[in-house]
Amino acid sequence: MRVSTVSQMALLFVGAALINNILLTRFIGLCPFFGVSSSMSTSVGMSLAVVFVMTLASGATWIAWKFVLAPLGVGEFLYIPAFILIIAALVQFVEMYLRKASPVLYRAMGIYLPLITTNCAVLATATEAAKPGFFKMNIALGASLSLGEALIYTLGVSVGFGFALLTFAALRERLEAAPVPESLKGSPIAFITAGLLSFAYVGLAGWFGL
Amino acid sequence: MRRLLQTFTKGITRENPLMVLMIGLCATLAVSTQFQGAVFMGLAVIFVLTMSNTIISVFRRFIPVEVRIPMFIVVIASFVTIVDLVMKAFVPSVYAFLGIWIPLIVVNCIILGRAEAFAYHNGVLQSIADGLGMGVGYSLVIVLFAFVRELFGSGAVKFFGVTLLALPSWYAPPAVVLLFPGAFVLYGLYLAAWRRFVTRQGREGGECA
Repeated sequence: MRVSTVSQMALLFVGAALINNILLTRFIGLCPFFGVSSSMSTSVGMSLAVVFVMTLASGATWIAWKFVLAPLGVGEFLYIPAFILIIAALVQFVEMYLRKASPVLYRAMGIYLPLITTNCAVLATATEAAKPGFFKMNIALGASLSLGEALIYTLGVSVGFGFALLTFAALRERLEAAPVPESLKGSPIAFITAGLLSFAYVGLAGWFGL
Repeated sequence: MRRLLQTFTKGITRENPLMVLMIGLCATLAVSTQFQGAVFMGLAVIFVLTMSNTIISVFRRFIPVEVRIPMFIVVIASFVTIVDLVMKAFVPSVYAFLGIWIPLIVVNCIILGRAEAFAYHNGVLQSIADGLGMGVGYSLVIVLFAFVRELFGSGAVKFFGVTLLALPSWYAPPAVVLLFPGAFVLYGLYLAAWRRFVTRQGREGGECA
C-alpha cells in the first residue's frame, strides 16, 4: 500500500478546502449555500452537519467500492444507486444515534441531517473519494485515493464548505440592511454577492500548482 | 388536452425550476461554460425527469408513503445510470466535460422534487407533461445561459467543432465570463432580467438542499 507524505496530505487538505473550494469554485452544493445562508445560526448547524456526514459518507463509500463493488465487478453500473443508498441509510442511522446519544449535538444539527441526504456536495465528494477517475486535483497521488487520503480530502472539502457558507452568511446579514435596486432584490443580489466572494478564491488558483 | 398543455407550459414560465423555484442551480452554473455540454445536460435532465415521473406515476398506488423517498431515489438512480453509460459509450468528449455532473443528476432537487410534489399525486399523462415541461424549462435556461457565456467568454459558440456564431476578431474575450465569479454575477443579472421581463414578479422559491 502506498503511503503519502505529510506534506502531500497538507496540500490535499488546503487544496480541497480553499483552492478547489466546493461551493465557490466548483458550484457543488449551492442549494444550502443560498437556502440556509440567510442567518448565521442555521449556517453553523448546517456546516457542522456537513463536516460530520460528508466524512462518514466518504469512508463508507470508499469501503463499499473497495471491498464490495470493485471485487464483484458491478461498480461501473451500480455505483450511483449504491452510493446514494449508502448515504441515505447512513444519515438515517446517524440521526437515530445522535438523538439517543447526544441531545445537544442533535439540537445543533438534527434538522439539517435529512436535508443533507440529497445534497449534491455529499454525493460528489463521496464519489470522488471512492470511485477512481473522478478525483481531478493536480496532486501526484496515483489513480485512486487510499482510505486515509480519501478522509483527509473529504475533511478538507467539508471544512471549505463550512468556511464559505459562514462567510457568505455574514455578508448576507449585512445585505438585509443595504439599499438594493428593486429588480435585484432577493436572489439576484445574493448571486452577485457570491460572485464577488468567489473573486477572492480566483486569487488562490495556481497556488502550489494546484 | 388543454390541461396537459397548461401543465407543460407552467414548467417553462410560471414555475420554471431555475428561475422561479430556484432549484437545481449547481449544475447550471458549472456546465454552462460550454454550449455543447449544456445541450447534453439539458437532454439528460429531460430524459431522467420524464422517465422517473412516468414510472413513479404508474406505480404511485403501490409505493407506501413511509418508504417513498428511497424508492424515488432508486428509480431516479436507475435512469441516471442509463444516461451515464450511454454518454460514456457514444459521446465520450461530452462525458469527459460533464464528469461528476452526470451522477449528480440523482441529487438534482428538480427531479426528486417533481416526483414528490407532482408524479406521486397525479395521473400518468399529466406527469409526463409535467416532466417534459420542467425539463424543457430547465434546458432552455441552461442552454441560453451557456450560449451567452461561451459567446462572450471565448468569442465563438461551437457545437462538435462547427462554429454556430462567432464575434468579430477585434473582440478580445474576457476570461472572467468563463471563470466562476462571472458565472455567479451573470446568473444574478440573468435572474433579475428574467423576473423583470418574463415572470414579472420576485417570488422566492421552495426549500431544498
